Amino acid sequence: MSAVLSHPVNVEEKLFQNRYKVDHGRPHIQIKDAAICANDCESQACTYICPAACYKAEGNHSVTLITDGCLECGSCRVICNEHMNVAWEYPRGGHGILFKFG
Amino acid sequence: MSTKEKFDAIVVGAGPSGNAAAYTMAKAGLKVLQIERGEYPGSKNVQGAILYSDALEKIIPDFRDDAPLERHIIEQRVWVMDDESFVGTHYRSDTYNKPPYNRYTIIRAQFDKWFSSKVREAGALLICETTVEELLLDGERVIGVRCDRLGGEVYADVVVLADGVNSTLARKAGFHGELSPGNVALAVKEILFLPEEVIQSRFNIKEEEGVVIELMGKVTEGMVGTGFLYTNKDSLTIGVGCMLGDFKSNPARTKPYELLEKLKKHPSIAPLIEGGEMKEYAAHLIPEGGFNAVPSIFGHGWLIVGDSGGFVNAVHREGSNLAMTSGRLAAETIIEMKAAKAEPTMKTLKAYKDKMDASFVMKDLKKYRNLPDVLHGNPQFFTAYPELVNKAAKTFFTVDGIDKGTKEKEIMGSFRRARSLTGLVGDAFKLWRASR
Repeated sequence: MSAVLSHPVNVEEKLFQNRYKVDHGRPHIQIKDAAICANDCESQACTYICPAACYKAEGNHSVTLITDGCLECGSCRVICNEHMNVAWEYPRGGHGILFKFG
Repeated sequence: MSTKEKFDAIVVGAGPSGNAAAYTMAKAGLKVLQIERGEYPGSKNVQGAILYSDALEKIIPDFRDDAPLERHIIEQRVWVMDDESFVGTHYRSDTYNKPPYNRYTIIRAQFDKWFSSKVREAGALLICETTVEELLLDGERVIGVRCDRLGGEVYADVVVLADGVNSTLARKAGFHGELSPGNVALAVKEILFLPEEVIQSRFNIKEEEGVVIELMGKVTEGMVGTGFLYTNKDSLTIGVGCMLGDFKSNPARTKPYELLEKLKKHPSIAPLIEGGEMKEYAAHLIPEGGFNAVPSIFGHGWLIVGDSGGFVNAVHREGSNLAMTSGRLAAETIIEMKAAKAEPTMKTLKAYKDKMDASFVMKDLKKYRNLPDVLHGNPQFFTAYPELVNKAAKTFFTVDGIDKGTKEKEIMGSFRRARSLTGLVGDAFKLWRASR
């Protein structure tokens, strides 16, 4: 991270400004096989590229995913090109992010 | 709606390309169904956003009468930045103040809603809050779509895929493969609200006049990408985007929102946005692979338009105008097909590709076809040069008792030390060859 930023950026504060209609219990993105993230993926790039910080690197080298703040950009699926371990669909009609301005 | 009802065309998506296609076909009397997954058209769409008038004029000539436009652009700034400073070029002209205006800032959620109202006025049927899950095929031919509502299946002669950069439908059907991290940029942006008068005084503009600033250099930490700052009526949009592959391989593992936050704190940017109330944070992919990354855009019973086809001119920051043009040309192809009572075969629909090849869309993409590779393979354009240019300006403009001849030698020396004479000539040649 750049020296210009003296403290970590709180992305939750940014996401708090957004409107969502969360489809409870039906995440539109899923990690196909958690063992691949934990054992085979060196970079775990999703944990720093996801612009909504949906992916978290856990202490035991596993990766967890919570899609509530998802901006539906598709980055996680595209960067997982070595392992193809992201099952990515759009949310059901009317659900997910609702951009007020876009 | 009866699921047995058959349409002349189904348009998936209500962004610029889908709206252009649906409007053009409905206006010509075709029976059009448009399906949008958002609560309203625009609720899933993200752009900077600049609207270039020409592409929309060709579809709705009098759009200025009621379209929600923010400010017409009278000044374009390009800043090459290091951490403390920037060297910029500004082009401002009063000719941009004479109607009809060449381009405007817009807020996409509002603009897309307006465009969609025109589509419905023209006679198309719009269904929102409905995600298309897959294309229905009869052999090789697309005959309709399956939705997650309405009891499922709807049929049409042609399906126009205006489903955006992720293009899940075309991929599932095997029309093209997954996006490559090297062909797509991830951009993040915020909208910051400020009183109109404050924006006007900070940017030296009058009511309805606007400024756009494109930002290059160290703001992307050596990754291929750019930033931007646009003036809306009572808000600013600020954002930054870099190639996904570069985000991934960046050893600093910089998060996109850290890049944005750093940009907002740059000493040349911070005073312009100070006090702005942030009301939304958005992210979106931009297909920037150019000519070589454009997939097949037509087949039996289907056409691809807009971001789904990768129609973005990354060099000139143009996308929505290419999208609208592709939507219009796809529509014209289908209108001609119906008029000739032809079947929607690959052979018939090839007319769309011919129209695209003859238009500025593919001509421009072709012109810059090698530039993505050149920029990607030569990070000095995003790191060394911005620093060198800024240091040179500092040396040149600082008055400190050192004679001008010595200063000139110092500047030339700094460039040669960083890139060598052959490196400098080679870089210039590479850029020239890739953009001629």
